[in-house]
Amino acid sequence: MDDATRQVLWNIKHVWVMYVLLVPTAVVAGYGVYRHVRQWRRGQPSARFDRPIERLARVLKMAILQATIWRDPLAGALHAMMFWGFVTLLIATTVVMIDHDFNVPIMKGSFYLYFQSLFVDCLGALAMVGVALAAIRRWGLRPKKLVFSDEANGILVLIFVILASGFLLEGWRIAATNDEWSSWSPVGLMVARVSTTVVSVDALRTAHLIVWWGHLLLVFGLIAWAPYTKLLHIVTAPLNIYTSNLDAPAGSLQPIDFESAEVFGVKNLEQFTWKDLLDLDSCTECGQCTSVCPANAVGKALSPRDIILDLQRQLPAMGRPLSGHTDVANEPSSIIADGTPLSAEALWQCTTCGACVETCPVAIEQYPKIVDMRRFLVMEDAQFPRTLQGALTSMEQRGHPFRGTQASRTDWADGLDVPHIKEVDQPEVLLWVGCGGALVDRNQKSTRALAKLLQHAGVKFGILGRDESCTGDPARRIGNEFLFDTLARQTIETLNSHQVHTVVTACPHCFNTFRNEYPQFGGKFEVYHHTTYLAKLIGENRLTLDASQIGTITLHDPCYLGRHNGITDEPRQILAKVSEAPLIEMEQHGTQSFCCGGGGGMSFVDEPPDQRVNVERSKQALSSGADTIAVACPFCTTMLEDGVGALQSDRKVVVKDVAELLWDSVENSNAAKADVGDRDKS
Amino acid sequence: MSCLLPGMELDRATIGLVAEAERIARQLSVEHVVVASGVPAELLQHATRQADRVVVLPTKEPGDYQIEPCLAALHTVGAELKPRLVLLGQDTYSQEIAPRLAHRLQGCSIGDAQRIEIRDEKIHVTRGVYGGKAIAVVRANVEPAVVWTRSRAFAAEPERSAACQVEHHEGGTDDSSGSEIIERSREAASGVRLEDAQVIVSGGRGLGGPEPFAELGELAKSMKAEVAASRAACDAGWVSPSLQIGQTGKKVAPELYLAIAISGASQHLMGIADAKVVAAINTDADAPIFRHCQFGLVEDFRKVIGPLKEQIEESNG
Amino acid sequence: MKILVCLKQILDPEVSPRDFQVDPDRLEAVLGSASLVTNIFCENALETALQLREGSDSEITAMTFGPDDAEETLRKAFALKVDHAYRIATPEIPHCNSAGAATVLAAAIKKLGTFDLIMLGRESGDWGEGQTAGLVAEMLGLNCVSFVDQIDIVDAGVHLQRQTDVGREKLVSDTPVVVSITNTETNVPRIPKTRDIMLAHRKELTTWTLDDIGLDEEKVTRAANATQVVELYIPEETSSCEFITGDSLDDRIRELAQRIANIVQSV
Ligand SMILES: Cc1cc2nc3c(=O)[nH]c(=O)nc-3n(C[C@H](O)[C@H](O)[C@H](O)COP(=O)(O)OP(=O)(O)OC[C@H]3O[C@@H](n4cnc5c(N)ncnc54)[C@H](O)[C@@H]3O)c2cc1C
Ligand code: SF4
Ligand code: SF4
Repeated sequence: MDDATRQVLWNIKHVWVMYVLLVPTAVVAGYGVYRHVRQWRRGQPSARFDRPIERLARVLKMAILQATIWRDPLAGALHAMMFWGFVTLLIATTVVMIDHDFNVPIMKGSFYLYFQSLFVDCLGALAMVGVALAAIRRWGLRPKKLVFSDEANGILVLIFVILASGFLLEGWRIAATNDEWSSWSPVGLMVARVSTTVVSVDALRTAHLIVWWGHLLLVFGLIAWAPYTKLLHIVTAPLNIYTSNLDAPAGSLQPIDFESAEVFGVKNLEQFTWKDLLDLDSCTECGQCTSVCPANAVGKALSPRDIILDLQRQLPAMGRPLSGHTDVANEPSSIIADGTPLSAEALWQCTTCGACVETCPVAIEQYPKIVDMRRFLVMEDAQFPRTLQGALTSMEQRGHPFRGTQASRTDWADGLDVPHIKEVDQPEVLLWVGCGGALVDRNQKSTRALAKLLQHAGVKFGILGRDESCTGDPARRIGNEFLFDTLARQTIETLNSHQVHTVVTACPHCFNTFRNEYPQFGGKFEVYHHTTYLAKLIGENRLTLDASQIGTITLHDPCYLGRHNGITDEPRQILAKVSEAPLIEMEQHGTQSFCCGGGGGMSFVDEPPDQRVNVERSKQALSSGADTIAVACPFCTTMLEDGVGALQSDRKVVVKDVAELLWDSVENSNAAKADVGDRDKS
Repeated sequence: MSCLLPGMELDRATIGLVAEAERIARQLSVEHVVVASGVPAELLQHATRQADRVVVLPTKEPGDYQIEPCLAALHTVGAELKPRLVLLGQDTYSQEIAPRLAHRLQGCSIGDAQRIEIRDEKIHVTRGVYGGKAIAVVRANVEPAVVWTRSRAFAAEPERSAACQVEHHEGGTDDSSGSEIIERSREAASGVRLEDAQVIVSGGRGLGGPEPFAELGELAKSMKAEVAASRAACDAGWVSPSLQIGQTGKKVAPELYLAIAISGASQHLMGIADAKVVAAINTDADAPIFRHCQFGLVEDFRKVIGPLKEQIEESNG
Repeated sequence: MKILVCLKQILDPEVSPRDFQVDPDRLEAVLGSASLVTNIFCENALETALQLREGSDSEITAMTFGPDDAEETLRKAFALKVDHAYRIATPEIPHCNSAGAATVLAAAIKKLGTFDLIMLGRESGDWGEGQTAGLVAEMLGLNCVSFVDQIDIVDAGVHLQRQTDVGREKLVSDTPVVVSITNTETNVPRIPKTRDIMLAHRKELTTWTLDDIGLDEEKVTRAANATQVVELYIPEETSSCEFITGDSLDDRIRELAQRIANIVQSV
């Protein structure tokens, strides 16, 4: 077995021709990549090289192990087969090179047999299966999320021909040389057997020669062509994953330096960072992002994939005026244009739910680009939907986005004896109520429940009452970074002046802002979402409760809790205590939850009745069959209650915050105890 | 003195206005003079049975009004009569004349009067301020007090048995005005924008379809109201989305907002924060709308709308 | 065309009723946690002026009479790119009414020279007196047209349009003229661009005292004292809903109709 090997470059003469051909191939491919590098370098700075270990781990997980692609099992399988197949073939070729060109005889013995023959043969076959599956998917199943182009067809055919010719070459070599180790290459052997039954060995020898050069030309051709196609992602994807935002989607939005920025937000590609531009060149056109986009799911124009691809299409013209696209001053006009995927209409449909970012196999950040363009529309162009104007003006003038609310910040606390934080001696926590929890009638019930729970558990807490103001979350996501900047600094200042260190809030949006965005402005607080804090209190046995007979529950994970901040267990822990029936999970839950439609300022615009995200999510929740839809966010509460109402189901399904449900069980347990007490007395 | 300007008719508002002037004149023991310009004959007739004198200013034709000449004429008459109180109505013309007339007569002006009283010999006017959130009593320290009144704020007075004479005044001197109304188009009464409407009848999802909205329209007509809707009703396509009230719809400030089969979601309530009185008809006594109502009826709208319309029409006379 | 727009800063009319309080001694609303905003009709006036400037060669001056805080209102006007801004600082006059304010504004306008169009809001969202435009006109000896919602510049002056109780009216007027502006679909205030907001803080803003415009406090006080607020209170809230009761449905409907009719007839 030790002498097992084969002759490298059998049957081939004038091998030098190959080396000569390699030069133009490398030049063309190199130039193809260089073109892009040159473009990326024209973007704005962005620091993306810290924490190298984490970054490498990410590349390992996402690129090498292909972790995210598996979301779509078929796509995941076929891509992994081709990816691992080609990686193996690449290694095999490298082995040949080491053996032949560097005269290091490694192609022998068991390594040759197990790896170079058997393994490579099998993975090559796997790649063929992958190609076949891709062909079935692309030409048979035709899923909506794919981009159907000649380029994509061409690539698939080319890959097939290359793989097939590779196997023919192997088989013919085996047949012609009567390779004694051929049983280690099962596919090659099969080809050999079939071929010899059809033609003579001599003919095979000639055919081998011709096909070998053909195969070579195709491979070189593909290498040279790849950087000019979506296959560019072979280079860009790992790079993109390495330099991706490790904190995405939560920490994706960056502050603007208003003193030095030339344009606020993004009007043209030049205002994107180099990383954004690299993003554009990394897209594999897989369509995964659009397929999970809630706005797209309800039939709206927004498609994150098409936004990325349209931006990518504009890349070559970067800095140059597009023909027919210049404004009076002969400056390149904005990339935002009606009738394209980058229409203002589409940009105003994004809920910033982050599903696109979370699912993208190559770590592209789609929605931050949408927010960047919104920034331009709001701050430079001052053109945006009128009801959003109302919300922004209200935030600016009154410190909350709910124009017309009749409630004051403390109405919810009527009769509860909740003190202002400054009246509490050494408070454990500040209860940050949030605009949604205080100023929207419905949510006052949830806020009351939370306050009663804290009181019940004996937590020393206070509120800011009238000193509370909007954290700025809607302003930031609507694109008014200037307003966000002001509100953020104000809030941080207020909290600091009251020496607040620990914050509990029922609003995932506030939570996210405190946790991931205020650090950008020097505000560092220990912040808990109420589900986490309540779970902690239960764990510490500070709450006594009885599970009640409230029937079945399903949980809607708020995007800014689950996906953006990875908190999915705590609400479930609480619900497990609240109801005896096991939790019913909707198909899309946890970090892959489907948006309620209320984020990104979208609770302040009126969506067309037949294109409502909240109705779609309510449908999903209702069809789970649960009697109660548990939520953990004031915005989700109103969105889902509205959606459930619109669907007018016969069943009486209620939407309740986790805190409300928990308080019910606490009361339940108190009542039970009181019952027992009564009986004892009698 | 009370002023009747072009456009005024013999209606509740005008009758109340003249009656109030009559009452104050008696309290102050002064003469009550009605000064009229371009108003219909039956209104003049009525005035002669409420006032001590009726003075008519010249106009080219009935209803004709030009700002500067009208102001000049009133100024001339006012200077002759030296009134303590000049009462005007709520119409656009009265409102624009009031402060300027006060200035010319070296008096003071107070608008939107809901009540006029004499305390310690001085004229006091009660009016809503801060969008109705507060009520102020304002004293006129100099006279004449030129006051325009909230229409229909005042009750009628019995007519006198004897009518007084109608005098004709030659008017003011200012005819070369510099600002002139050159076109006036009377338009259908339905042109009131929801934002300006004084009474609104609003329907929600509980109506169940477009047909009840037609009935609502009839009811609204009897109340001189505009029809509006919740988003749920607009979404269902029963009425035009332009009728939507709320956070993402219109914000209105009527004197009365009657919500029929509307639950009162907070997004809806945000549109009616400035309504003076909210009333509701709903089958569900626990509907949140009732928490924001002054009065309400727990009943199926189907049993209510028809009879309610008849009752209101009856009380309209 | 030289345009002057007078702007007033007021207590936010949208403050929640629960947060609204009055000071029974000073007879004024308490600011409390409410914010100060530019009166909406003044913003409509400014918007109308900005639109006029877009179609003509015009210059806009903004003016306010108010305390230091009112500077914010002028900064916002600067953010919308008015050309000049003046503030006349308020002396301590308890609740300065329209008569007082008009005296001050008229004196300041006189000092600035002539304007073709002097625009004000039809009334303010706090005291809602609706008099300032008329009084300024009288004091300057100019014509005044109220409740205007559209202005077009024509050769001979301006065309003005307004909605009155008797219908829509179109006026032609010489200039200078004082105009009070009301809201309509087309003069919804625009949103400033962020850069302009930032630049607004660097713009030169003139602050005048009464002395600067040749007035003494005494004169303003005298004008303002023509009327005097003697009571200010918050009407008792009928917080809970009164459910209409009655033996028969007929009775209940009759009662409901009566209550509705009472309100409708007082409108
Ligand atoms: C982001 C966002 C923005 C929104 N903006 C707005 C907005 O601007 N304006 C708005 O209105 N809504 C808005 N909504 C919707 C709002 O949340 C409610 O869903 C909507 O107002 C409900 O309308 P409704 O009261 O007509 O319907 P429902 O809530 O379904 O109420 C129907 C009512 O009719 C009663 N009823 C049923 N039958 C009868 C009968 N026979 N007689 C008498 N009563 C009966 C029922 O008791 C019930 O109270 C918004 C929602 C969201 C999420
Ligand atoms: S953030 Fe959500 S709504 Fe926005 S593009 Fe991505 S998936 Fe769509
Ligand atoms: S952006 Fe990402 S998820 Fe979307 S199509 Fe491109 S590669 Fe796929």
